Amino acid sequence: MKPIDPRLIARIGPARRYVIVTAALGFLTAFTILFQALLVSRMLAPVLAPAPLTEDGLGPLGLLVPLGARELAQGLPWLVLVVVARVVVVWVQERLAHRAGTRVVSQLREAVVAHATGMGPRWIASGKGAEVVTTVTRGLDGLLPYFVRYLPQLMLASTVTPLMLVVVLGLDWLSALIVALTLPLVPLFMILVGLVTRDRSRSHLEAMERLGARTLDLIAGVPTLRALGRERGPAARVRELGTASKNATMGSLRIAFLSGFVLELLTTLSVAIVAVTLGFRLIDGNVSIETALAVLILAPEVYLPLRNVGTHFHASADGIAAADAAFSILEQPTPVVGTPGGAVADFVGATVCLADVSVATPDGARHAPASVSVCAKPGELTVLRGPNGEGKSTALLALAGLLAPDHGSVIATVAGHQIDLTDADADAWTRQCAWVPQRPELGPEGRELSLGQRQLKAYERALTSGRPVLLFDEPTAHLDGEARSQLVQRIVGLARAGATVVAATHDPLVIDAADAVVEVRAAAVRGAS
Amino acid sequence: MTPRSLAKPRSPAQPQQRLDWRALLRDAEVKPVRVLLSVGAGTMALGSAVGLAAVAAWMIAKAAGMPSPAELGLAAVAVRFFGIARGLFRYLERLVSHETALGGVVALRTRTYEGVARTGASRVLGLRRGDIVARMGGDIDAMGDAVVRSLIPLGVAGTVSLLSIAITTAYLPVAGATLAGCLVAAAVLSGLMTWRSARTAAHAGTAAAARVSTATLEAIDGAAEHRVWGTSGAAADELRAADLDAEDAAELSARPAAWAAASLQAAQGAALVLALWLAVSAARHAGLPPTDTAVVTLLPLAAFEAVSAVPAAVQQAFRSAVAARRVQAMVGGAEPEGAMARGAVEGAPGLAASDAPVPATAPLRLEGLSAAWPGMLPTVPVTATIEPGGALGIVGRTGIGKTTLLLTIAGALAPAQGKALVGGAPVGPDTVGRVVAMTPEDAHLFGTTLLENLRVADGAVTEHQARAALEAVQLGPWLDSLPAGLDTRLGSGGNTVSGGERRRLLLARAVLCPAPIHLIDEPAEHLDADGIDALRALVAAMRRQGKSVVIVTHDLGILDVVDRVVSLDGS
Repeated sequence: MKPIDPRLIARIGPARRYVIVTAALGFLTAFTILFQALLVSRMLAPVLAPAPLTEDGLGPLGLLVPLGARELAQGLPWLVLVVVARVVVVWVQERLAHRAGTRVVSQLREAVVAHATGMGPRWIASGKGAEVVTTVTRGLDGLLPYFVRYLPQLMLASTVTPLMLVVVLGLDWLSALIVALTLPLVPLFMILVGLVTRDRSRSHLEAMERLGARTLDLIAGVPTLRALGRERGPAARVRELGTASKNATMGSLRIAFLSGFVLELLTTLSVAIVAVTLGFRLIDGNVSIETALAVLILAPEVYLPLRNVGTHFHASADGIAAADAAFSILEQPTPVVGTPGGAVADFVGATVCLADVSVATPDGARHAPASVSVCAKPGELTVLRGPNGEGKSTALLALAGLLAPDHGSVIATVAGHQIDLTDADADAWTRQCAWVPQRPELGPEGRELSLGQRQLKAYERALTSGRPVLLFDEPTAHLDGEARSQLVQRIVGLARAGATVVAATHDPLVIDAADAVVEVRAAAVRGAS
Repeated sequence: MTPRSLAKPRSPAQPQQRLDWRALLRDAEVKPVRVLLSVGAGTMALGSAVGLAAVAAWMIAKAAGMPSPAELGLAAVAVRFFGIARGLFRYLERLVSHETALGGVVALRTRTYEGVARTGASRVLGLRRGDIVARMGGDIDAMGDAVVRSLIPLGVAGTVSLLSIAITTAYLPVAGATLAGCLVAAAVLSGLMTWRSARTAAHAGTAAAARVSTATLEAIDGAAEHRVWGTSGAAADELRAADLDAEDAAELSARPAAWAAASLQAAQGAALVLALWLAVSAARHAGLPPTDTAVVTLLPLAAFEAVSAVPAAVQQAFRSAVAARRVQAMVGGAEPEGAMARGAVEGAPGLAASDAPVPATAPLRLEGLSAAWPGMLPTVPVTATIEPGGALGIVGRTGIGKTTLLLTIAGALAPAQGKALVGGAPVGPDTVGRVVAMTPEDAHLFGTTLLENLRVADGAVTEHQARAALEAVQLGPWLDSLPAGLDTRLGSGGNTVSGGERRRLLLARAVLCPAPIHLIDEPAEHLDADGIDALRALVAAMRRQGKSVVIVTHDLGILDVVDRVVSLDGS
């Protein structure tokens, strides 16, 4: 996992601005921490020293905090000011983080949704649509902890940590050397622990997921078991699986927590070593008390952001994964149907044909439909018939200009003039068609309606649209007897009035009313296993 | 945390969001000893940080007086010890607390499972699979998290704060008092602000998130239709508006969250300023020894780490409370009002008694039976008798109440009017599944072998019987095509079989079910020829065993499959 996804910075404006501002705030934080430490040392040193202090223990850094700050009356107001500044920085950072986080999520979500809608109906129907919805809603919400917690700490780790190291070097080179030597050990040991435990934790993780899936499977089946009168037995099995899952989880946690252990051990132990070394050097008079105090206060600050990065790493991993999923959707090329800006025609009185059209299924194993040829003439109701899954709906999508077939062509003949879909403007083509899918979407208000009501409403819109080509997928599904025959009558009426009407169905009522019936069949792709 | 605001919830739809710790710990079978152990280890870990700061301060101050190195010896050992102890005890604390919480999750999950299995059949059969998985999965994990991420950090914050206060008080009582004041202020202010933030997020945020989900779903699922009707722009605008809503809601909850962070920082700063002022003044004017001055001044720098965990702990408690309430609502002691109360089926004698033997065959009689969920229009009354081996079809248009009627015949729902009698005794909750079994349209295929999936109907099914049942629903050739035969593993949710195979497997399961009466809820789509054939095969197989079948569908294609058809569409 990359600490910052470069695509996030490159493409999402609020993310870029936030990273810059957070880096700036990180430097501000570093300076307030520095001033706080120097001020406390200035004020505390005189009362700890056995004799009045004669020289400036802060060396070149002493220029930042005048010697006069050794007096409480002068030092304390400055310290109060520094404390207030830190509070303000924390508040501003927190406000910006939330605001930037939600904006980034919104922008990314809207970009992904806009891109996904251009991926074509079959991509959406093949389950990718549901995945996109999950990714851009619950998934991307996981980015908030990343922006609010992880990223600021990462910025502090890259501002406070090096700055403090330089400061400690300016104060006391020996302490700086101890810190500089232990600091690289932190990532080194964490990588080592990660490498050593990788295989074990992977097998634990797999066991955990397997057990978890089996438990959820058992739970998902509760209504089924209940309906068969067999619900009592599995409770013991749920506990058994749960306990096994718990043991597997603990096995992986014992390893996962090791890296946290190494991190805490190294960072705390380094501070302890710095403190002990300072103590013995003070006895020898090799270091001044003012210096020792400043180093003692600053040493933990070098490590603190590193520790926090470790703490928030896992909380933000989900969000990063979701952002990654979002970008991989954005990077998929959208299929092109027709020629944007191509031929445009009025389809009144048009004959719309599929000529030897085949479309591969998403897995590429079959063509559904396979080599279908049909010409729908104006004034007629043409029916596409065939078992479920053989490609009737896909044939309708091709007729509607919503999908480019893999083989064959889609041709509209208007007043003796032929237009191939590949040369036509697909949007203009589509707007000549009133297409109603199997489960029409009518927006939020449509969700309140039953399937049948939704169906009727969608057909109302299509039948009164005045569009010359009407494409209907299972028009009579979800409808009762009377509504069915009424709908079929209206469809036939529009055909008689000159519309070009195609319906995919296996309802005998519709088939009987048809002027032409075409069988749609799928076939295995030659050469595919 | 906020007794006053909790006492008067904003609206009846938003009941108390306080976590019932006692009930949670009892249901999770968490032993107090384990919690104490975790808090103890956590206290040692963060206490080590406080100890390190205190002893290091003492040592530096002592060393400044240039004593003999031997006088620093013990302090140097203590500093190193604390340096190691922090990581070590933190590791132990995480292990103990996670083990406790995970054990709690297992107990909670088992208990919830039992609760769901025990609860009213009408409720269970009405649950959607996605909901059950979400409640039993993520929500119960969230309840377990309350222990690790809320209870234990809060406990550690308390003990470590007390430790810091005690050390400071021992050297300079007045500084101890100010430190205590600052620690309490930090905990209370940041806790309260976080609570407000979480509550706002739950109120405004949940509604906004729902709008975003709907807008996203609508934009993607309706993409093709939007292109056809030229409404793509409107869908994008709706999503933008929903996102703005979500941003506003986030803004509302972010404000108190920012104050929580700021109040922690302010309290820590105040503690440092006050300690420095008090200690240095005491050293100058009251002769406070240098070592004591150093400890009192530098301790606030380490003392606030434990308290700074309060916001996250409060947030987790809130999240867990919401999850607990959802789980509780699913198990929900009471039936939806009126569902069981009306028909007095609870104490029905005869077949209803759960220990009564189940007859192999029994006649089913519906006497003017009509069904309805509370507040719904009842279905038209149905009167019919199905002798053993008979088959009844119930047709009706979508939304007319076919599934409701089926639940009523099964005994899961009390009739709106009339009676359903099996062998002369009324059906009731105890007959569900045992006497009157049911195959709902979204019945579950388990992620196990084909054979085990059939044994869901009856644990005693032999391989021979399983094979015969599959052949009965014309899955024989399919079975023969499987290399592992009956030992073939099916994916969870049955997604490794086709839709048609899935329906037939469910029908094979129905054939094997020992209950004398079986109800089949057919999916809403039209049945294709294969689907009708499978139903015909099922009815034939059931007839041979003298069992009765009731099929509901809106497809008139089953007319020639059953003996008799009743329509719910009325006149």
